[in-house]
Amino acid sequence: MKVLNLIAHLLDYPSDELVKNLPELTHWVANEAVLDPRVRDDLLAFIAHFESFEALDWQSEYDGLFERGRAVSLHIFEHVHGESRDRGQAMVDLMGHYRSAGLALSERELPDYLPTYLEFCTTQGQDDNIEGAQGWLQDISHVLALLAARLREKDSPYSLLLDALLRLSEVEVDMAALQQQVSGEERDDTPEALDKIWEDEAVSFSSAQGSACGDSVMRPSESQRRDGQPLSWINAGADQAPQHSA
Amino acid sequence: MSHFLDRLKYFKKDKEPFAGGHGEKTDDDRSWEDGYRRRWQFDKVVRSTHGVNCTGSCSWKIYVKDGLVTWETQQTDYPRTRPDLPNHEPRGCPRGASYSWYMYSANRLKYPKIRKRLVKLWREARLKYADPVEAWASIVEDPAKAQSYKERRGMGGFVRIKWDEVNELIAASNVYTAKTYGPDRVTGFSPIPAMSMVSYAAGARYLSLIGGNCLSFYDWYCDLPPASPQIWGEQTDVPESADWYNSNYLIVWGSNVPQTRTPDAHFLSEVRYKGAKTCVITSDYSECSKFGDTWLAPRQGTDAALAMAFGHVILKEFHVDKPSAYFTEYVRTTTDMPMLVTLEERDGRLVQGRFLRASDLAENLGQDNNPEWKTIAVNHDGQLVSPQGSIGYRWGESGEKGKWNIEQRDGNTGDEVKLQLSLKENADEIAQVAFPYFGGQTHEYDYFQHTEHSDVIEYKVPVKHITTRDGETIKVASVYDLTLANYGVEHGLNDPACAQSYDEDKPYTPAWQEKVTGCRPEDVIRVAREFANTADKTRGRSMVIVGAALNHWYHMDMNYRGLINMLMLCGCIGQSGGGWAHYVGQEKLRPQTGWTPLAFGLDWQRPPRHMNGTSFFYNHSNQWRYEKLEMDEVVSPLADKSKWQASIIDYNSRAERMGWLPSAPQLGVNPLHLAKDAAAAGMDLKDYAVQQLKSGELKFANEDPDNPQNFPRNMFIWRSNLLGSSGKGHEYMLRHLLGTKHGLMGKDLGESDGKKPEDVTWHDAPSEGKVDLLVTLDFRMSTTCLYSDIVLPTATWYEKDDMNTSDMHPFIHPLTKAVDPSWEARSDWDIFKGIAKKFSELTDGHLGVETDLVTLPIHHDTPTEIAQPFGVKAWWKGECDLVPGVTAPSMIPVERDYPNTYNRFTSIGPLLEKLGNGGKGISWNTDNEVDFLKKLNRTWSEDSARDGRAKIDSAVDAAEMILSLAPETNGQVAVKAWEALGKVTGRDHTHLAKPKEDEKIRFNDIVAQPRKIISSPTWSGLEDEHVSYNAGYTNVHEQIPWRTITGRQQFYQDHEWMRDFGETMCVYKPPINLKTVQPVLNQKPNGNKEILLNWITPHQKWGIHSTYSDNLLMLTLSRGGPIVWMSETDAKLAGVEDNDWIEIFNVNGAIAARAVVSQRVPDGMAMMYHAQERIVNTPGAETTGTRGGIHNSVTRAVMKPTHMIGGYAQQSYGFNYYGTVGCNRDEFVIVRKMNKVDWLDGEDVKEEQTMEPSAQGFATEEEAAQ
Repeated sequence: MKVLNLIAHLLDYPSDELVKNLPELTHWVANEAVLDPRVRDDLLAFIAHFESFEALDWQSEYDGLFERGRAVSLHIFEHVHGESRDRGQAMVDLMGHYRSAGLALSERELPDYLPTYLEFCTTQGQDDNIEGAQGWLQDISHVLALLAARLREKDSPYSLLLDALLRLSEVEVDMAALQQQVSGEERDDTPEALDKIWEDEAVSFSSAQGSACGDSVMRPSESQRRDGQPLSWINAGADQAPQHSA
Repeated sequence: MSHFLDRLKYFKKDKEPFAGGHGEKTDDDRSWEDGYRRRWQFDKVVRSTHGVNCTGSCSWKIYVKDGLVTWETQQTDYPRTRPDLPNHEPRGCPRGASYSWYMYSANRLKYPKIRKRLVKLWREARLKYADPVEAWASIVEDPAKAQSYKERRGMGGFVRIKWDEVNELIAASNVYTAKTYGPDRVTGFSPIPAMSMVSYAAGARYLSLIGGNCLSFYDWYCDLPPASPQIWGEQTDVPESADWYNSNYLIVWGSNVPQTRTPDAHFLSEVRYKGAKTCVITSDYSECSKFGDTWLAPRQGTDAALAMAFGHVILKEFHVDKPSAYFTEYVRTTTDMPMLVTLEERDGRLVQGRFLRASDLAENLGQDNNPEWKTIAVNHDGQLVSPQGSIGYRWGESGEKGKWNIEQRDGNTGDEVKLQLSLKENADEIAQVAFPYFGGQTHEYDYFQHTEHSDVIEYKVPVKHITTRDGETIKVASVYDLTLANYGVEHGLNDPACAQSYDEDKPYTPAWQEKVTGCRPEDVIRVAREFANTADKTRGRSMVIVGAALNHWYHMDMNYRGLINMLMLCGCIGQSGGGWAHYVGQEKLRPQTGWTPLAFGLDWQRPPRHMNGTSFFYNHSNQWRYEKLEMDEVVSPLADKSKWQASIIDYNSRAERMGWLPSAPQLGVNPLHLAKDAAAAGMDLKDYAVQQLKSGELKFANEDPDNPQNFPRNMFIWRSNLLGSSGKGHEYMLRHLLGTKHGLMGKDLGESDGKKPEDVTWHDAPSEGKVDLLVTLDFRMSTTCLYSDIVLPTATWYEKDDMNTSDMHPFIHPLTKAVDPSWEARSDWDIFKGIAKKFSELTDGHLGVETDLVTLPIHHDTPTEIAQPFGVKAWWKGECDLVPGVTAPSMIPVERDYPNTYNRFTSIGPLLEKLGNGGKGISWNTDNEVDFLKKLNRTWSEDSARDGRAKIDSAVDAAEMILSLAPETNGQVAVKAWEALGKVTGRDHTHLAKPKEDEKIRFNDIVAQPRKIISSPTWSGLEDEHVSYNAGYTNVHEQIPWRTITGRQQFYQDHEWMRDFGETMCVYKPPINLKTVQPVLNQKPNGNKEILLNWITPHQKWGIHSTYSDNLLMLTLSRGGPIVWMSETDAKLAGVEDNDWIEIFNVNGAIAARAVVSQRVPDGMAMMYHAQERIVNTPGAETTGTRGGIHNSVTRAVMKPTHMIGGYAQQSYGFNYYGTVGCNRDEFVIVRKMNKVDWLDGEDVKEEQTMEPSAQGFATEEEAAQ
């Protein structure tokens, strides 16, 4: 469970405090016995990448990645409700869950902020038993998978953290298929797609059939996307090369 | 949840019927209903509105649950209007309804941010220097360090920063700048105070207290119609939208009402059910066209020609052939038509001169007070009289009873007069008078059609001979006769220059206009007749709704004067259901006189520093270095062209030195140092400055804008998207103001060996990156934020307390704090309060109590406005003495208590009790209100400069200050204000406010329900139970003069520069030749055909008014990125198909966008809506190789000297009242299909990597535009 907290911290803005404590965290990850080795590898790779960074460089990279545009926004409902009016009620409902768990938000942050949600997960379940949190993680696994794929598409090491979360949730995700879908997202920015009629469908990711069934490709369908990646430079010409930079 | 398993299949439950079997009791599961219940659950509903620059100002319900805004709906509790008038509600449009998503959007600015390079330098410097001011100095005084962060502007690389740290940096920079270069090197830009006026006031109060400049916006946006001050001495006083319903004939001219005035459009459709007829005039087939019984589509930019033809018909039929008794009496009593104008001999021709004044006549015609400012007319008995009401009667008049009113009386005897309109009956001669004609000018691309008429036309005019005080005989004519001649209307003089019928092709007949506008003459004649006939029968219930489309042209005054002339000729101004309804950009700040002390710190020190935005940006973004428009191209053929050989910037500089326009910075030295030098010289500060200026030791900053001493070092931008929306000459700003990457393709006058300015110093090396620190406050990452050094997250419109008013309706709306600002956001009020606090702390050792010297231009509505009655005289050439406030700006020492800036910011100062409060030329004692505020807001009780002063700590305190001090919201103040006006007019006006004397509107009142304002003399309309607000109403019905030279509405403008520009009367002037295409046409071919189109930038449908267009709901309804509309014909010509990527460019810059090929657009026009931002889907432009620009990337401001005129009654400066305007529609662009769409992805990253090897590894996508 501590590991969820760790990931929450790593996903948050890299404050000076985090940078200072990085060696200690590395030590913990390297030596924690119960950690799934694959999760351990992901986390160590992530830390190894940023270890050499100056705090300001890491911070500006974070800012450019997560605070400019919504494609990889860390607010969960951004990927579910986008800017539709349902989002307000969804956040209210999520707050209800927190409250019934005896928790109240203390930071000026929205309830659907992924690190907030992860911290909530750590409070669910006993001791260091991941199972209590797993159900909650599984509920958002489709968003996690989408973020992982998009971050990988951007060649960002942050995808490693999302991979780790997916492993912890034990949901089988066909990442190859998803990756293909995400790389195929460019297609929705073609001239035809840009004019596509906008459909307002309510989406529920915690329905009765829910994540427990472990559907490996459960994720928001294209028709549910509200973002269209408008803030990343999209490919819309007829004969252009793929957009990603590396 | 399905209830399949809950249902019984083999059993049925016992039923218990009731109500005779109509009902039955059951215990079935009802949890399915919860879905519906929850859908509309909320903890509270809060009233708020939207603070964007939209005239709507609609009241909204904001639903809040668990501290989160969940949705918003329209408010429906507006007070009812009176019988026979539709209600205001529902107000609100889809743009407002989609606002709440901004709050939690991924685009929301959540934390204060700073550019990484800068914060690194700052932290290093702070380790080295204990004093933050010294730390800042160590950065900006090192050119390499300064350049290193300036050149990264617009290229991302932000990091979060704590409020404390960022406030310290900003304050240190301000202290350093004020101390080193002068407080007037700190400048702020924020538009439209009417929308969230407290937030505007926050920044303006801080800047005013420290001596910084506030820039005007209305003129810069080019929404300011200079015609309005010229004609009325009033800026944008217009009817509320409800008054449309009182109209019987509506012309909607260049205003797209359903699209841009959505919540008000219902009055337009409703009045048609009542039987009103409508004529829509737009060049494109706009959404409004369908509202018209007639739709006229003149070629864009030629509206004045159409208006002149309308006027020709109206004059001919309703003033000459069968005069309307109502029209004749109206123009006789309320306009300058009977006034006399001198005619001057020049080059063997008789040309129009200035108004005849009392001072021209023997013994000043009995007028000893201001005889130079009293105009003269002929009474029915043939005697010359000085009618009451001219501006000379406004100031300095002695006597018990004021005479500044437009009762028809002789100012001398008080006897009733009936002034002669035409002098035809008793003329001394019928003379040939020369009139300039501009319609023959050819257009550079032959797009605008010219006609074959001489550039000077001589008309027959009845003339009287008059003997002056010097015994000289001069010729005079009445404005009425000159107007008839100017319109080419035959009135029995058998003038061969005038048309005998409408079919003759002579200026300005309906047949003549067809060549220019393309409109059918018979339509023009019919509409003119309908318009005038209706006004005649209804006493002026014909109205013109007009929009920015007409005002954004270089000769916008002609378009506006043309249609205002129609309204004056038909007696429509000041009548219910009639008049001029211009709704662009200003958004009436109704409680203005209550707000100005708060906003500009008038309670502590006066005067504040105001600056006209257009001149500021034209100057400091160095657009003048590229100026290609020669003034002798645009002046009258009758003018002395040798006077007009200098560059536009020279005329602006002269206007500043003559006290016409304001300056920023003001003098070429730090004004704080000047006081010390004066003390050292043992001289009075003002005398010292005058002496230094005269000797040439001291210069105005405007004479050398590229001198580093005169750079605008610090800039604040708040409530605005300057660089993404309103920045004409965008690429010039990037290069010169910011010193970053730009797409400018033109050569400056040095590179192209052009004619340099005469007065303004030329430096061969251009200055780049003049601004040391650019701070922007916003709630989203706008284009402006991308270019800023520091970005501060503000509260959204649902997270702060504030107020809105609008000219579209009479209500005051609150913005209220539905929830606390999210993340680290703070309200504008709190942000500037925080900066003020830090500023005060950091002054220690740098700034104490200092004496600042403020130069103040001659202001309209002050006694100085009658400073320069005859001619234009330059003191620096020895043509006159330098007398501050008369021949030059006033020079006023102002004491600034820098360490007490914060204390002053948060309390109401003593000047209100000492000097009173007021506006527009009247003032009143306001002790009671200040005393009341002490009780309401409580007082500070501490050992400091604010001890015992009323608090303005919170935004609500500030709102209460506005509401208490303003006549519009405090009935007792309204009565005092009307009393004060009555002293000058000699009439009792208090009856207009007496019924509401005890009404006092508090902040909580407007939170409870929208409240109507109280009528006040600040405005010329009334708001009562019987009439809708309509401008000019009190002028016509209360006989209060217009604030012009004649005291009447003016067809005639007599300032020397107006005469030089041939604009004494309204004429048609074609669009000008800006020469921005040739140097780049076919220079960088991509194989596709290049065509030329006229560049039009209207307000849009798919954005939040003119400011925000990154709203996804809106983008989805549109095409999701930048689009440019063009006609089918042009598209075919250029080989462009709908949705193709096209590039639009000229020497000013380039844009990449998709083509919308539509029948809506006429040939030769390309149209791009405002503010399609660089942050949304903008690929690289092929020509520049940099990211395509915004709609203003291909524009540049070009100024007109007539707008610089000052010191001349209504043509005197006022903030957002008069001044140069940033026009942009005469511009042409090259349009061609793009071959390759390059999104430039990763380009920023590559650059970053080469420069900073530390940040490598995984490449991230820098989404910032460059």
